[in-house]
Amino acid sequence: MSEEQGPPADTEVEAESPQAAVLRVAREVLDERVPGGVVGFDGVPPEQALVINPDLLVAVCHSLKEDDRLRYQLPIFCSAVDHLERDPRFDVVYQLRSLKLKGTIRLKVPVAEPMDGPPSVPSVVAVWPGMGCHEREAYDLLGIHFEGHPDLRRILMPVDWEGHPLRKDYVSFGEPVKFSDRGSFPPSSAVPTGGGQ
Amino acid sequence: MKVKEAPPRADDVSGAAHLENTYVEGLNLVGDTPEGPLMELNMGPQHPSTHGVLRLVLRVEGEVVRYADPDIGYLHTGFEKDFERLTYHQAIPLTDRMDYLSPLGNNLGYALAVEKLLGEQVPDRAERIRVILVELSRIGSHLIFLGTHALDLGAQSAFLYGWREREKILEINEMVSGVRMMTSFIRVGGLMGDVPPEFEPAVRRFAREFRARVDDYEAMLSDNPLWIDRTRDLGVVSADDAIGWGVSGPTLRASGIAHDLRRDNPYSGYEDYEFDIPVGTRGDVYDRYLVRVREMRESIRIVEQAIDRLAPGPVVIDNRKVVLPPRHELDTSMEAVIHHFKLVTEGFRPPAGEVYMGVEGPRGELGFFLVSDATNKPYRLKVRGPSFNLIAAIPHLITGHIVADVVAILGSLDFVLGDSDR
Repeated sequence: MSEEQGPPADTEVEAESPQAAVLRVAREVLDERVPGGVVGFDGVPPEQALVINPDLLVAVCHSLKEDDRLRYQLPIFCSAVDHLERDPRFDVVYQLRSLKLKGTIRLKVPVAEPMDGPPSVPSVVAVWPGMGCHEREAYDLLGIHFEGHPDLRRILMPVDWEGHPLRKDYVSFGEPVKFSDRGSFPPSSAVPTGGGQ
Repeated sequence: MKVKEAPPRADDVSGAAHLENTYVEGLNLVGDTPEGPLMELNMGPQHPSTHGVLRLVLRVEGEVVRYADPDIGYLHTGFEKDFERLTYHQAIPLTDRMDYLSPLGNNLGYALAVEKLLGEQVPDRAERIRVILVELSRIGSHLIFLGTHALDLGAQSAFLYGWREREKILEINEMVSGVRMMTSFIRVGGLMGDVPPEFEPAVRRFAREFRARVDDYEAMLSDNPLWIDRTRDLGVVSADDAIGWGVSGPTLRASGIAHDLRRDNPYSGYEDYEFDIPVGTRGDVYDRYLVRVREMRESIRIVEQAIDRLAPGPVVIDNRKVVLPPRHELDTSMEAVIHHFKLVTEGFRPPAGEVYMGVEGPRGELGFFLVSDATNKPYRLKVRGPSFNLIAAIPHLITGHIVADVVAILGSLDFVLGDSDR
């Protein structure tokens, strides 16, 4: 992560924003319950995310949900962001809400794309069943594989769709069109991606 | 681009895979249970009671649903991909079309997310008008819920009543924006423009009349023994299950959790208004109905408070890098012409960063997760529609119920497929 940093120390002394306080408490609890689970912070304050070690993701999620100081019980969504040029390429993002603390927290798991398979992270369906559909969507649209998901298949795109449309290297507006006499036209790299660059 | 191996068929219902396949031609029998054979029943996507294009693959044993698999995506239009090639301003009309029963609520969530990224706070008058319009949209959405849900269960009058009042809300939309449904009225940095002078009396008249209308709905249904028989203790979801499934909004509140983002994480000045959060006790179809009807009353309270405090003033922020200059300045100011040109051709460039903004939509938490790379287009915009989680929870809710009750339970969830499929 290029921007790994804690909340700046000087602002913390003056007036800690509510979101920074939420992150600090979550980090303290997680460091106590799952040592090594939180790798750092990412993003610009106050909207920061906790960067999580993928190997400990499920343990971290269990702690976030079950610890009485946190109670992040409500899964808001899970998705991914494709940073095409970056290594690791994907950020898998989890947004959670605590009804007790009346706030949200964002987890981020950087995932690289291995040479021989899809990028993969452990599934958190066992923690929040409501994440199952979001994991299916991230698999469908971004090709993230969630290990241990009981039913990982496409949810929005047709079952026979090829590719994952929300990846940055997926050409928009260039879907092949079939003609009965000439086979199909492949998407051309010359097709403008639109938007008036 | 890597191509995945072919995924299993959409109607390969999970959990039923262990069943021995005893398919009998012409009967759609797909497996055996100790009690008897299972039949596969396809419900939707054109079924009128699925409220949009939801397809449910049910496996029924006699009349009882044993497995259910919601199949969505029929309305998937790739909005999230489109956002990445549109400027921040151009994306607003797409947000209208997601939850098409509450377009202004979507506009608001998106505008607030971008404003959070920009660090802008809109003027007081804009906030009040936003709240009025969004609460009216919420009422309109709940009226459609009421009408269609009651119609599904055989109460036809509620449908006509509900649409009559909604029409008045659409007239107010038309008055302020020129468009009845897809208004795109709430913009980044404020509003499309100020409301006309007749807005205030029209809203007051609607608020006054509508209170009596809600009494009518309640008189029709709330104490109606047939309605109670049909909806009590049906489709019960416990508070813990609802939370675990990511269900929010009226469906969660009907299960007894007083969680409302307008109060818990106020935005747009909701902390100034006095309103109650109706909650249910049992989490059944009846409670979900009652919570929504009571919410309409609370929305009217908010609308009346907001219109009382509506003071003259600007309706857009004073940042010419974000909002268009007023028309009259274009005649006299070169600066204004340059700003206008740059905004229309290129749009504005918020700082790099990422924000999540959740607002309380009529169906639950509507969230916008926005990643900016400091260009004029969102790098990634993920929309969390509340309907998505509601639909994911359907199997949990309808398994064990008879097919006729499936219709009642689906109606009580009040999902919108445009919201879930995006």
